[in-house]
Amino acid sequence: MSEVKSKEFQSASKAALNDKGLQRLLGRVVHGFADLRDAAVEEVTEPVWEQLRERARSIKQQTLANLDYYLELVDKSVTRNGGHVHFAKDADEANKIVLEIAKRHDVKRVVKSKSMVSEEMGINQVLEANGIEPVETDLGEYIIQLAKETPFHIIAPALHKSREQVSDLFHDWLKSQPTNEIEELCRIARDELRDKFATADMGITGANFIVAETGTVMLVTNEGNGRMTTSAPRVLVTLAGMEKVVPALEDLATFIRLLPRSATGQRISAYTTFLGGPRSATDEDGPEEYHLVLVDNGRMNVLKDPEMREVLQCIRCGACLNTCPVYQKVGGHAYGWVYSGPIGAILTPLLVGMDEGKELPFASSLCGACKDVCPVKIDIPRLLLRLRGRATEGGNGVKGSAPWIQKLMVRRWFSSVKTRQAMNRSAKLGRLLQRPVARGGRIKRIPLPMVSGWTQQRDFPALAPKSFSEVWRDSLDKP
Amino acid sequence: MHQTRRGRQSIKASLFITCTIDQFYPQVGEAVVKVLRRLGVDVNFPEAQTCCGQPFFNGGYRQEAKDLARRFLDVFDGNDYVIVPSGSCGSMVRSFYSELFADDADALARAEDLASRTYEFSEFIVNVLEVTDVGASFAGKVTYHDACHLLRELHVEDQPRSLIQAVKGVELVEMEASQACCGFGGLFSVKFPHISTAILDSKLQSIEASGADVVVANDSGCLMQMGGAMSRRNMKAKPMHLAELLAQEGGRA
Amino acid sequence: MTLLPDEQAKKEFLERVRTALGRTEPLKHVPDHPSLKMELPQQEQKVRTIQAKNEARRERLITALLSRAEQMGWRVNRVPGPEEAARAVAEIARDAGAKKAARSAQDIFKRVDVDGALRKMGINPLVLASGRTRHRSQLKGLSFEAEVGITGVDYAIAETGSCVVIPRKGLSRMVSLAPPVYIALVEPAQVMESLDDVFAIRRMQYMQNNGRDTNYMNFISGPSRTADIEMTISIGVHGPGQVHLIMIG
Repeated sequence: MSEVKSKEFQSASKAALNDKGLQRLLGRVVHGFADLRDAAVEEVTEPVWEQLRERARSIKQQTLANLDYYLELVDKSVTRNGGHVHFAKDADEANKIVLEIAKRHDVKRVVKSKSMVSEEMGINQVLEANGIEPVETDLGEYIIQLAKETPFHIIAPALHKSREQVSDLFHDWLKSQPTNEIEELCRIARDELRDKFATADMGITGANFIVAETGTVMLVTNEGNGRMTTSAPRVLVTLAGMEKVVPALEDLATFIRLLPRSATGQRISAYTTFLGGPRSATDEDGPEEYHLVLVDNGRMNVLKDPEMREVLQCIRCGACLNTCPVYQKVGGHAYGWVYSGPIGAILTPLLVGMDEGKELPFASSLCGACKDVCPVKIDIPRLLLRLRGRATEGGNGVKGSAPWIQKLMVRRWFSSVKTRQAMNRSAKLGRLLQRPVARGGRIKRIPLPMVSGWTQQRDFPALAPKSFSEVWRDSLDKP
Repeated sequence: MHQTRRGRQSIKASLFITCTIDQFYPQVGEAVVKVLRRLGVDVNFPEAQTCCGQPFFNGGYRQEAKDLARRFLDVFDGNDYVIVPSGSCGSMVRSFYSELFADDADALARAEDLASRTYEFSEFIVNVLEVTDVGASFAGKVTYHDACHLLRELHVEDQPRSLIQAVKGVELVEMEASQACCGFGGLFSVKFPHISTAILDSKLQSIEASGADVVVANDSGCLMQMGGAMSRRNMKAKPMHLAELLAQEGGRA
Repeated sequence: MTLLPDEQAKKEFLERVRTALGRTEPLKHVPDHPSLKMELPQQEQKVRTIQAKNEARRERLITALLSRAEQMGWRVNRVPGPEEAARAVAEIARDAGAKKAARSAQDIFKRVDVDGALRKMGINPLVLASGRTRHRSQLKGLSFEAEVGITGVDYAIAETGSCVVIPRKGLSRMVSLAPPVYIALVEPAQVMESLDDVFAIRRMQYMQNNGRDTNYMNFISGPSRTADIEMTISIGVHGPGQVHLIMIG
């Protein structure tokens, strides 16, 4: 499993906010994606869009509720197509399978199109450690591979890199001429990767969707690297989370209408690629051999969990990231793992454990913008609240672990609002205690743990001399 | 089921004032009472009320939230209408009590009943009383901030704007991204103050760019967040709760 | 020998899924789904209805296709017949400065003489198909050398402005992918209204051939592109940056 740094969210988010270059870039690009998405949805018109969302939600929900049936059907179909289907319990097992396939075929070089689950697995490091060269071919993934970083955004992994930074990377690693022209940078990458496509022994893809009935994997791409990866090498492997299944070919129409619009504001991506087995005997080219590896890596527990299961409906569009006020300010690296933004705040504690991920569900203002844009109608705020309940009080195999100072302050607060009398008493005490710091109805500094963060940049209101309840009793309570 | 009703004379309504307004902004509560009485509503205030439990629920302290919510159900038992001048507290009752009481059929039934009688302040005036001109007057440029829960959980968006536009002398100017979060989020604002204020910065920029003298919102959490920075930075614009605007009689910005 | 799946691991995995769903036994019936239970005869009838619908709306669909394709970045050209089509292909190749133009070995080229038109322009046509003169292993290298790739299509989708290309004998995956310029020759009968239409047809074909034919298929909906650097669009990354749709008739 790849490294998890979600515990560092506080410091990582502070660092992101202090990074002026990042802030300039973030401000421009993330809103860009959100605006493109909004325009694309407007073109579809809202009633049609809502119908699509509801249909997608229903397809995903029904599939998950019958996932045993559909996974077995995937196995049958892909096998009928001439492929091999493997089931991996966790990242380790999945890595072993891929490595073994590569070894048996004497693979020296692997070209990869985008796969988020492969980032969970950390497959690149495993291949490298075994003398095999993995080459990311999605431009954003290629850039962060050179930079030795993790993805910054689900759809655009190198969103945080300026053209100057990309130019430096290419100069350092590819010995190319420095340039400020994005077209030129793309051409450099294209030339470099063209050779890799031509000479790679094995291709690894992810899967946007897997059709159970026909054993068809669907890839949504724009660059052509997905087509190259699935056409040029002699061995092909698809890595996919077990939740990527949909029942029928015809279901794909709904998702094609939702995914590109939600992700990049496109009506459809440049290439929608369908595969599901090795080349047939009469095909001119294509892989001789095909493997599909279905990965659990924590998803089984989520499937088992009726309160959280709906997060498995996610189609990895990234729309929630683009619309999230928190993501818009801190970007993806602060979240510390493969998945960032609102969906990452749910997936990380669920897949890697609450101990590692418990900061993340709290790193949200619960504004609900994500819920509005989710194409499969995941109620993200509600799921975040459930995780907060588990993090604080425990539940579902999780031990509650709020800091003791927080528990103490919350209990005190609770006692002070349990009854009207308690509230009145606390208010009286509060008005007394605030006298040294309250000026003109405002408090400039609250010297209390936990809440002192407020007054760094904001005034806090002083308790009113009379509460509303007292005003009511004194002057408003008239027949 | 929410129903509209003509003939406001006989309408009795209980005020769910929210603990924030009770303790920090009683003048907002006074404005609420003033406006509702002007519109002929028979307002009462169940004094026993304290907190709906939202801050505890949001912090993951569901046991405490449940205790407060059960008490809340008792305090507001059997009233005709319950009016709340807050989007987030209103949605705690209307949307999230069902989450809290998922395992308790009795409490759930009572919560659903309460939800059907609970209205946010502007929603009540426009949808139930069917009034948009409450007889207020205020000279100044006003911009409106869509509080997140009010907008996305209670789906209240047009009503506050209709009410603001009907105030004599007011010029309603829409700010860019009025629906963007102000960064409050309750616990979030103190647990991640750096992110909270970064989000707030963008909101304040929108307010300033709109040229408004006043920013109106229906949520005292938002007003606390925005107002707290506006006073710290001596901004020209001032925060105001919708009720305070609607209670204005010849005021100026 | 290749790595065969671990059957025991598979069994245990599926059992864990069942347990997670609260089941002790596998499902005895197909889950409820709008189309999954449709058998082949009904699916064939459904496809006949779709074909009839598309035929009745053909002219309108062609207009919609060409308009949408242009929006998506295709350069679009409608020509009256095969001669004009061949000439259009050759002109595109000439304008692209091509010396080698690769094409598939599909039936359409028996009617549209692109070879003749290209040779007239001094451009060398390469047929990228295995056969007497060429071995399969040469095809990849040749497709990387060509400056233009030309194929027919299986379908064109008006809803999305897409050309649907399914590889087979005579039609490689690479010929429409590797060269920087791609030309798709489309005929009216191939124009479908929607994604639903194409998927219905593909389902029927899958049921008919029981997985024997290749599953591989591409919807090509414009030129290759990326916005991965500073969200600025750049056209022509790994696939063709210039794509032409020629409607013949």
